[in-house]
Amino acid sequence: MAEGEHSLRYIERDSIMHRLYPLTKLAWVFVVAIGLFLYREPVSGAVMLGVVLLVAVVVARVPLRDVLSSSQLIFGLGILLMIFHFFADPGEPVYRVGPLTITDGGLHEGPIFFFRLSVVVLASFVLIWTTDIRDLMVSLTQAGIPYRYAFAVFLALRFLPLVQREVDAVRAAHAIRGRASRSGLVHRFKLWQRYMFTVLINGLRKAEATATAIECRGFGAYPERTYVKTVEFKPASLILVLIFVLLQAGLIYAERAL
Amino acid sequence: MALYAVVNVVIVVVLGLIAKAIGKPEEGAGGWNFQYSTRDIVIVAVIAAIAGVVNTGTGNLWYLANSSLGPLGGALLQGAFMWAYVLAMWLVRKPGAALAVGVIETAVEILLGNAAGVGTLGWGISQGIAVEVVMALVNYGKFNLWTAIMAGAAASQFGTLWTAILFGWDPAYARDVWIAVPINLISGAILSGVIGFLLAKAIARTGLVRAAA
Repeated sequence: MAEGEHSLRYIERDSIMHRLYPLTKLAWVFVVAIGLFLYREPVSGAVMLGVVLLVAVVVARVPLRDVLSSSQLIFGLGILLMIFHFFADPGEPVYRVGPLTITDGGLHEGPIFFFRLSVVVLASFVLIWTTDIRDLMVSLTQAGIPYRYAFAVFLALRFLPLVQREVDAVRAAHAIRGRASRSGLVHRFKLWQRYMFTVLINGLRKAEATATAIECRGFGAYPERTYVKTVEFKPASLILVLIFVLLQAGLIYAERAL
Repeated sequence: MALYAVVNVVIVVVLGLIAKAIGKPEEGAGGWNFQYSTRDIVIVAVIAAIAGVVNTGTGNLWYLANSSLGPLGGALLQGAFMWAYVLAMWLVRKPGAALAVGVIETAVEILLGNAAGVGTLGWGISQGIAVEVVMALVNYGKFNLWTAIMAGAAASQFGTLWTAILFGWDPAYARDVWIAVPINLISGAILSGVIGFLLAKAIARTGLVRAAA
């Protein structure tokens, strides 16, 4: 898995969403998610899916083709989950498919869980496409998280492409010594163990070297640290969160009242 | 759901008490030491990055099993995700190491396109807390195979609480959620507890990480 193969990554664009303060975008994802856990009707989830799609395509300016290609797996799993609920949830029988029964409760609950899974993931994708992780880490430290701990998250993400390259290299090294991809399950498990151990050992070796290197540069010596790029909070960023809080409140009120 | 939550808490505490009852604490090992060195932080970050890559692939299989076959399908692979929590705890030996790996690893998974989006953080937190509870009950002083097995099993089962909420498996009518409990425990004990412990021991033998040696 090379770095370039991942379509899910930050893409620099000039959009309203890109200019928002990173923590407010994170808060927006949580506002969207919380609402989806409170809905009792599938129509609310459908409305939210439409609105989040609009945010992705219009506000964040992500091409619809990219949105759909990244979401294929998620929508597929959401549909499977919905179908499972059709059969598993209690209620009055509506249809029979062999020994299985589709219930009215399942037909009502299934789409709720389809939308819950799909919309939460889509909102997460919008955050990833529009937020530089470095900016998110800086905003986390501005929110009061000690920089040594925020750095751990940043470091994990910094190591990510290195780990992916390491996995590729170890796999290739094993492949040229035999036809690993065509072997049986037990052999594959043994290969997995070897990959894991090699990747872990190489990773930990790098961890030791990194720890020494950053301590030599004075990491952790002072309670505050400086950053190359500053991230400024603008109160206008809160508008997105406020709009969605109102939208969620409106949908939940409408569900209960109608 | 409330009953299922209570049962899960009881299971985690009982597993912690079993770990406490088996074996002796190691001299000078662990304890309630919250002083993380830079090395500890970097080790946690690296393990989280590696686990994030591995678990994203395993996660897709799990989602397929869980979405199409329900709680019983998910239970078979439920324990395959927490080996990194056990490994980090065994290498760093400080309170919070498993929870930190859980949160960071799931954050990495979100960025790699995990099929639950930010929802995956719920598993990182719940499973990390379960390992921490088991370790807290042994005063972060026992790092033997049995403690690893109990920690893996506890994390595996406690994670299903979030699964039930996210996927809508209501334990009030979904019998499979209860039938899956022993499968979750065995799956977590082996795929997370035993594998995490064996990886930690193998790494300790290399002399690369001093705390686990």
